[in-house]
Amino acid sequence: MHCPILIAVVIWSSCVDSQKIRGISLSYKRFYRERKSFLCIDGSKLIPFDQVNDDYCDCADGSDEPGTAACPDGRFYCTNLGYRPHYIPSSRVNDAICDCCDASDEYNSHTACQNTCRNLGQRERAEVKSQMRALDQGLRLKQQLIEEGVLTWRDKQAQLRDLQRVLDDLQTQLDDLRKEDARRKKEVDALRELEIGALETEENSHRSHIMNESPVSIFYELDSNRDGRLSAKEVRAKLTDIQDGERVLSEDEAVALLGGGHHVDLSRFEETLWNSIRIGHNVTIRGRVPGRLVKGEPVLKAAVSAAEKAAAELKKVEDAYETVYMEIRDLREKLATDYGPEREFLFLYNQCFQLKVHEYFYELCPFNQVTQTSASGAEVSLGKWGSWAGSPQHRYSQMKYENGEPCWQGPTRNTVVTLTCGTETALRSVKEPGKCQYVAEFQTPVACRPALRQQGVHSEL
Amino acid sequence: MAAFIVRMGPVLMLWLAVCVSGSWAVDRGNFKTCDQSTFCKRQRALKPGQSPYRALLETLELTNTKLTLQLINDNNKVRLLLELYRLQGNMTRVKINELKPLKPRFEVPDVLINDPPTEPLSLLSQDENGMVLSLGADSQRLIVSAKPFRLDIMEGREVLLSLNSRGLLAFEHLRIRKDTLADPEGAEKKEETDAASEQTEGEEATKEDEKVEDGMWEETFKSHTDSKPNGPTSISLDFSLPGVEHVYGIPEHADTLKLKTTDGGEPYRLYNLDVFQYELFNPMALYGAIPVMLSHSPQRTMGLFWLNAAETWVDISSNTAGKTVFGQMLDYVQGSSETPQTDVRWISESGIIDVFIMLGPTPTDVFAQYASLTGTQAFPPLAALAYHQCRWNYNDQEDVAAVDQGFDQHDIPYDFIWLDIEHADGKRYFTWDPHKFPQPKEMLQGLEDKRRKMVAIVDPHIKVDNSYKIHSEIRSRGFYIKNKDGGDYEGWCWPGNSGYPDFTNPEMRAWWASMFAYDQYEGSRENLYTWNDMNEPSVFNGPEVTMHKDAVHGNWEHRDLHNIYGLYVQMATAEGLIQRSGGVERPFVLTRAFFAGSQRYGAVWTGDNAAEWDHLKITIPMCLSLGLVGVSFCGADVGGFFKSPSPELLVRWYQTGAYQPFFRAHAHLDTPRREPWLFGPENTALIREAVRQRYALLPYWYQLFYHAHRTGQPVMRYSLWVEYPQDTATFSMDDQFLLGRDLLVHPVTEEGARGVTAYLPGNGEVWFDVHTFQKHNGGQNLYIPVTMSSIPVFQRGGSIIPRKVRVRRSSSCMEHDPYTLYVALSPKRFAQGELYIDDGHTFSYEKQKEFIYRRLAFANNTLSSRNLAPGSQFTTLSWIEKIVILGASKPSKVTLKMPDGKESQLEFDFDASMSVLTLRKPGVNAGVDWTVVLQ
Repeated sequence: MHCPILIAVVIWSSCVDSQKIRGISLSYKRFYRERKSFLCIDGSKLIPFDQVNDDYCDCADGSDEPGTAACPDGRFYCTNLGYRPHYIPSSRVNDAICDCCDASDEYNSHTACQNTCRNLGQRERAEVKSQMRALDQGLRLKQQLIEEGVLTWRDKQAQLRDLQRVLDDLQTQLDDLRKEDARRKKEVDALRELEIGALETEENSHRSHIMNESPVSIFYELDSNRDGRLSAKEVRAKLTDIQDGERVLSEDEAVALLGGGHHVDLSRFEETLWNSIRIGHNVTIRGRVPGRLVKGEPVLKAAVSAAEKAAAELKKVEDAYETVYMEIRDLREKLATDYGPEREFLFLYNQCFQLKVHEYFYELCPFNQVTQTSASGAEVSLGKWGSWAGSPQHRYSQMKYENGEPCWQGPTRNTVVTLTCGTETALRSVKEPGKCQYVAEFQTPVACRPALRQQGVHSEL
Repeated sequence: MAAFIVRMGPVLMLWLAVCVSGSWAVDRGNFKTCDQSTFCKRQRALKPGQSPYRALLETLELTNTKLTLQLINDNNKVRLLLELYRLQGNMTRVKINELKPLKPRFEVPDVLINDPPTEPLSLLSQDENGMVLSLGADSQRLIVSAKPFRLDIMEGREVLLSLNSRGLLAFEHLRIRKDTLADPEGAEKKEETDAASEQTEGEEATKEDEKVEDGMWEETFKSHTDSKPNGPTSISLDFSLPGVEHVYGIPEHADTLKLKTTDGGEPYRLYNLDVFQYELFNPMALYGAIPVMLSHSPQRTMGLFWLNAAETWVDISSNTAGKTVFGQMLDYVQGSSETPQTDVRWISESGIIDVFIMLGPTPTDVFAQYASLTGTQAFPPLAALAYHQCRWNYNDQEDVAAVDQGFDQHDIPYDFIWLDIEHADGKRYFTWDPHKFPQPKEMLQGLEDKRRKMVAIVDPHIKVDNSYKIHSEIRSRGFYIKNKDGGDYEGWCWPGNSGYPDFTNPEMRAWWASMFAYDQYEGSRENLYTWNDMNEPSVFNGPEVTMHKDAVHGNWEHRDLHNIYGLYVQMATAEGLIQRSGGVERPFVLTRAFFAGSQRYGAVWTGDNAAEWDHLKITIPMCLSLGLVGVSFCGADVGGFFKSPSPELLVRWYQTGAYQPFFRAHAHLDTPRREPWLFGPENTALIREAVRQRYALLPYWYQLFYHAHRTGQPVMRYSLWVEYPQDTATFSMDDQFLLGRDLLVHPVTEEGARGVTAYLPGNGEVWFDVHTFQKHNGGQNLYIPVTMSSIPVFQRGGSIIPRKVRVRRSSSCMEHDPYTLYVALSPKRFAQGELYIDDGHTFSYEKQKEFIYRRLAFANNTLSSRNLAPGSQFTTLSWIEKIVILGASKPSKVTLKMPDGKESQLEFDFDASMSVLTLRKPGVNAGVDWTVVLQ
């Protein structure tokens, strides 16, 4: 043995009863009581006790060489006073690499290992302390967030109920409006049908409409100078364009209406201008409603206008319904997402977190998506919210975002987000260990678990 | 690394899209067939028949060292000069050049390790038809026939080999361009020619118009035009090998070990190319070229070394090919048939004919002969024989640390972690990406703390960027290869527009080597080693993805020396690694391109393979072929480079790779991560076990490499004909192999395999299953059921293999560990083996003779360790932990005897069911004499 005295003392003091037995923990000491012989712990073989730790592997289970590298798959116990004891594979004993902080693994390798357990222990205790502090704070924050989450959840539930109520109202309205709309439409249709019928038998239809107006009375109405004939001038004075009531007809137009002459008598009037007025396509008598509408159409017009109004009303309510419906759907979807056992992750919804890594800008929008934006501004989807993906024990320790933009000659991009406990909520790192396979670290108080305190306490020794 | 993929400029991407077109197979259209390579087409059009060449016997000159003789082509009266040497060690060298070439023709330098020592030749008889010479002391004779010219080498009454027996000697002499496009310098050249030809008889004839064919003075392939300022310069020669049915070698091809006949198909092509997604089982050229062919029959093993670095094609035909076994049997019974014969024809684009005929007669002799010409395998640092973890790419320092940690966490050993092209700053080799690898030295120190190492890639294409020191220095020193117009040659590669240093220039190589000095290569440390990829050279926008043949290296065209470029890159890099340590440390450099002699500089791998079962299978013949021609340090990307392996394939590949010389996992950038622990605990355990088997056997591997380095014997051997040259049964078998003489490995390369049939050679021998110690008889096909746990491996009865069964984090950690000796007894209860130990990483073994080399022998129930190298000295802390004797009987007493007379009894354990005797803790130092007696 070439150990510094200090190390020897440490070993001696930690194994008072069985000085010789290197590499075992106190709980195993009972197997190594100094006797004449040693029974392999698996019971497979009895060997002389001086073959324990003699750097030759006798037991199939390696139990005769806890302190040397002789047995494959053996393990060596680092006592690590002042720090944390742990096992190392026995292949790391005397390999010239310091594994145990108490240097006990390198007792014969000419490697000067320092006992760093005190420092490590102090550092770890300090670390654990600050971790514990962070954990406590994190847990407090988490509690707040849970409470906030509860409120949010209630709000959202209330909101959902309200929306549902609104939707029900809208539904009732819709039912009424649909009926009204249908009725109006039917009315218009009926009138339209009449109109169409009228147009089909135009003469009759018009005659019936102008029963009060005989060609004779119109002739005398237009014959302003009562000379028994209509002149172009009289026509221009009395008639107007059906489309534009203000416009004065031109001389030529008047002449044309009169069948090509400048004057017509009654009988000639009945053959020419009367037809124009009666059909009401071009001209009408100034100050009077154009020919067609003159006759019975105000009813239809009113019906159409009422129908249009009903339809508009219906559309408005339908739109409102659609909006509320979508809102409910979104809200339901949102509420159906798994926000953890206490809905502690609910607050992340609709939030996004950014991180810049070299030339790339990453954004994580929890329960939505992960994106990467390059310096040139091109945005690439690294995955859309898929599911929680932690181990069965810690389902909520990882999130999976899938089906991002496909890679060249490869699969679609995806991202696994690991959640870690911290007092802040922030995206801590994004990496791409394999092509288009991203991993991100996302720190948040809600990832803090009381169990971490147990582990911390344990590691404190 | 891949030929071409992603992350390149848009221009390249466009070009890639055309090239890649999404399919998984090689795009054959990117590479020439013989028909598309005009010299090959011209030469292949020449059919066997009467040779126009005649030996001018009156020109014979015979000195102590060589014979010279002029040959004349009776068609064009051009004269050639034949030089013939009898070389020490049963070799004959034949050189043929133009007697008076217009200008010198290229002769490949730097391949032979020295001017091969000669032996005197003597003239036995001569008449007007020819002459007979004695080749040294043996009964070997050389017969020179004058008309037509032909050489026959005979031993006794038997013809071993004939040259130009089929009349395919063809030598396209340098000529002046006579078509309309003749260059303006023609007149000047002509004067020189006239001056030169005045001394030559038959000068009138040489002025006869040569037939001008398409492609003689210019050749276009796809969009690339090859200006051929020297016109046609190709050479060809045929060899006949009577009695030979099996020829091997001429790597690199993704094909069976036994070479196939090429009648009616493409010849085997040797032209270093970056082939994207290469296809299996065909004669297409790949990344490296070693123009060495071995022939083997139960009577004799011989070799042909065609020393030419230009594009080369090899045709093989056989008079028994295509005959059924029954047909051959009928021939034999009737006694009427011709003897089996293999005919080989070599065609090269330029240079001279310079061929070394290695006459064996045993495989060992041929390996020694070739080693005496081109040197042996570099003796690698021990760690380089351990496991290498690579991926394109480990992204950053954190990633490296996490992977390193992963190995410890899963208790899997590894020695090297590798960084591919993404580690450098914009693919500027010798630099580090400032964001991803801001503290390379700290990273390397972190690995050193675990006694591990790193390899970073340094490719020979240099980004054209004036702010990049390497580029500006190479440019200012004029070290770049030039294009045909005299400017620096530029092509596209990973960094975009790149220059290619002229590694054929010794000054360039010296400068390059100096760049590896710790103060030059920033961020480097002692545990950083180098990987040379893309050194065919790969030029993405060049013809066949390589350099234009009319590019210029000093006095020579790229055409003349293409195949040796990659060798020079590795040579200069290895030299750099040696120099940075002041000549103390052994280098480790991996290369993709190689040539004859590359074995002296490090390791090679089989390039960009794929995660497919057939690619796993082909690793065996590919590495065996390389081993036969000197390159023992060969491996394939474990898991397959392209695509993603199933866990089963990955496990099987680890199990196979663990028994192949260069053991490195590698993966393409686009594939999912595949570190050994990513496939569930079961597969992790299987891979751990495979890697541990490798580590336990490192002493044996190291000793095999020492042996290869000393003797040129391959590490990974073809089981039958190298060690069992008489056993014809499996001359064509390439699904199993021997490591050294003593371990027989039969990888499992079928998906879902439940068993394999292994051939155990050697009638009267026995083999021990290393996993179960079950004994099997040799000379039989043995069906072995397999599970996923391992592949069949057998230790030869009669051998002793040292292992270090305490597998640790890295090979360095195992340095002082004790040995376990596995003694497998032959049926005559005999066994022997060796034990080689040195410091594992320096040249002290060579310079200061600091090593231990011992013979371990078991005979007469006594096992002893004796010094094989009395002049050497080295002390080790390692001792003998355990001795396992397979095929033993139970002794009553076991005594350990030391030279000083001290004796002690050893405890032992005997397993009667398997006849395994285990001696407990002899405890003797591994470097001393000792004896163990069983009574």
